[in-house]
Amino acid sequence: MATVTFWLIILLTVFSALIVVGSSQLIYSAVALLFTFVGVASLYIFLWADFIGVVQIVIYVGGILILVIFGIMLTNKITSVRISHTSVQRGAGAAAVVVLFILLVTMILKTPWLEIAAVEPDQTVASIGKMLMIDYLLPFEITSVLLLGALIGAAMLARRGR
Amino acid sequence: MDHLQIYLIVGAALFCLGLFGVITRRNAIAVLMGIELILNSANLNFIAFSRFGGMNLSGHVFALFVIVMAAAEAAIALAIIINIYNLFHTVNVDEASQLKQ
Amino acid sequence: MTNLFSLNYFGPELILTGTILLAIIVDLFYQEERSYRVGLWVLAGIILSAVTLLINQQSVPVALFLGSVVSDPFSTYFKFLILLATIFTIVVSFSEKELGNQRVGEYYVLITIMVLGMFLMVSATDLIVVYLAIEIVSIMSFVLAGYLRGNRRSSEASLKYVIYGAFSSGIMLFGLSIIFGLTGSTNIFDIRAALAGLDTSADLALILATLFIFTGFGYKISAVPFHYWTPDVYEGAPTSITAYLSVAPKAAGLALIIRFFNSSLGAPGTFIETEWIFSSAIPWTQVMAVLAVATMTLGNLIALRQTSVKRMLAYSSIAHAGYMMMGLPVLSEHGIYGIMIYAFLYLFMNLGAFYILMLVRNNTGKETFEAFSGLGHSSPLLAIIMTLFMFSLTGIPPTAGFIGKFYIFSAVIKAGPGFYWLAIIGVINSVVSLYYYMQIVKAMFFKDDNESGITIKFSMISILTVILAVPTFIFGVYWVPVADWVRNSLVIFIR
Repeated sequence: MATVTFWLIILLTVFSALIVVGSSQLIYSAVALLFTFVGVASLYIFLWADFIGVVQIVIYVGGILILVIFGIMLTNKITSVRISHTSVQRGAGAAAVVVLFILLVTMILKTPWLEIAAVEPDQTVASIGKMLMIDYLLPFEITSVLLLGALIGAAMLARRGR
Repeated sequence: MDHLQIYLIVGAALFCLGLFGVITRRNAIAVLMGIELILNSANLNFIAFSRFGGMNLSGHVFALFVIVMAAAEAAIALAIIINIYNLFHTVNVDEASQLKQ
Repeated sequence: MTNLFSLNYFGPELILTGTILLAIIVDLFYQEERSYRVGLWVLAGIILSAVTLLINQQSVPVALFLGSVVSDPFSTYFKFLILLATIFTIVVSFSEKELGNQRVGEYYVLITIMVLGMFLMVSATDLIVVYLAIEIVSIMSFVLAGYLRGNRRSSEASLKYVIYGAFSSGIMLFGLSIIFGLTGSTNIFDIRAALAGLDTSADLALILATLFIFTGFGYKISAVPFHYWTPDVYEGAPTSITAYLSVAPKAAGLALIIRFFNSSLGAPGTFIETEWIFSSAIPWTQVMAVLAVATMTLGNLIALRQTSVKRMLAYSSIAHAGYMMMGLPVLSEHGIYGIMIYAFLYLFMNLGAFYILMLVRNNTGKETFEAFSGLGHSSPLLAIIMTLFMFSLTGIPPTAGFIGKFYIFSAVIKAGPGFYWLAIIGVINSVVSLYYYMQIVKAMFFKDDNESGITIKFSMISILTVILAVPTFIFGVYWVPVADWVRNSLVIFIR
């Protein structure tokens, strides 16, 4: 049963990611993105990452996706802005990406990844908390400065007029 | 289910799809969604490597920071996109491109 | 060193953080037209941070925060360089007309956060800190590039910047995850130890990871082929920010590249060596050399065709990134020495060139070559200083630019006959660059159609250009102090 669920989740993740990049309707892409995020979160659960799985749902689905949907609703003619000099044709892009994918799969199967057997922990929250407060204290504190800056920056950019 | 390679291949697929989205889409928000896919693929790698590398939680912490960073970046990117959109409404485009030559 | 004791060595960064918080609070109390005064507070904080850095200078490298960052003379050198560029940027921003009619309090706050990010970039020894530092600098630059609200060019610049920036950092992150999977660690010294034990079956993964990671780093120093954003962003951003972006994050990016590739991929035990650890798989030195050549040649060739001086300077800054990258493939002590000297001297001449452009733009409203015509007659001093900067950017003696190029080229030549072609292409590129730099000199002195009759009003910026011209000339004649300082700073943390 678990195996079936696992493969269904993988199918869901990859298929919805396909829709994200393939759909011509932005809002469909956004909804498909929801399923990708949830699929990835479920894979995290399979990988014993309970805390990160929850964070993924809270921040990605609850935060970033909402931002994206708001963005789509507030702007519907943004397509006229050229953001790249080289607009790659879909065919050429697909070919390049398929080559890269084959290369990556070859790499994944060939490489001797570091594998160490482990038992499933009861929960990971306590250990992650300790690591954030000890080993990764500096990045943790720096992130707060970054978030402050991002907050000020976003507020400043979105403030209309003066 | 307990093979590292399966997760890595899913990660690689998400990465390639994200890349495809970024290089082919013209819409800024669609490109942003492609970037989110790329970030998710990297995070999936980190978590998978953590699990199979002896439950090494460094990967979890890395993924946590990436998620936080992705939120900050998405907020900034959407503020910029909305800013641009407002300009299109308030400013005549042809006139705007002539500004200060 | 434990987290608590690390704070003893973290004074400059703590002062920067304090400055950020103070500036945000102070900003609340100023009216819009007085908000530039936040800049004075920030300037005081930056100078205080520089003084603390000077007092706390370490001759012995130490690892801080359980190996997250290090404090060594190498990082201290780049921190001074960043602070110097920041001081110039803040002072010049007081008289930058483009910023004139809006609140500027946040502008100075964001610059300070960016400085903090660059400090981490030059001292990071943990992948998480590397990623966070790059992101901090990137996100702050996105906002600063789009600071001119209501200006379409500036907003488009920030849109392009954020898309390319987020994209390249995502690819870098994927590369970092591969490295993590191979080694199971985020500390670059542990990574080196683990990589040394891998056999050749991991080569493909290492090659791909290195390429992905270099995408992120190359984007920060605008190396070809990751330079696409540079001209548009440099053209659209406020000129004060363009000048800053072309100097400070580029130096920080180079420092990060040197430390990262030296410490994680170099052979263990030694300081700086000529061979990278997995050089057997791909000729990395050749790849880096080709990237350097592509960067400088492309930058120079496109710069030839520009009509806007700001865009020309943007492409010229790509070319200069290429010259500095010439020091990477040799990855010897001499190469790094050359990069460090070049980055320092480049600061003065490039900031100077941008500030004179800013003066001309403030007075004529134009950024084209024509805007400079007749400057030699109306303001001879300014024209002479601009000529000095142009000579220096080309690398003509006796200017600082010549000394920088001299050290880079001699490092390349010292690396052996296999690198002579690199030096020759570098020299040819310098000759090509002469053409477009001299366009400005020609316009200033030999075009007499002074129909606009521009008169440059005396301002803070003109004083700054004089201040920048002095080292550009002095270090071209007497550069021993710089060379000594850099030699003493050539101590990198190893474990």
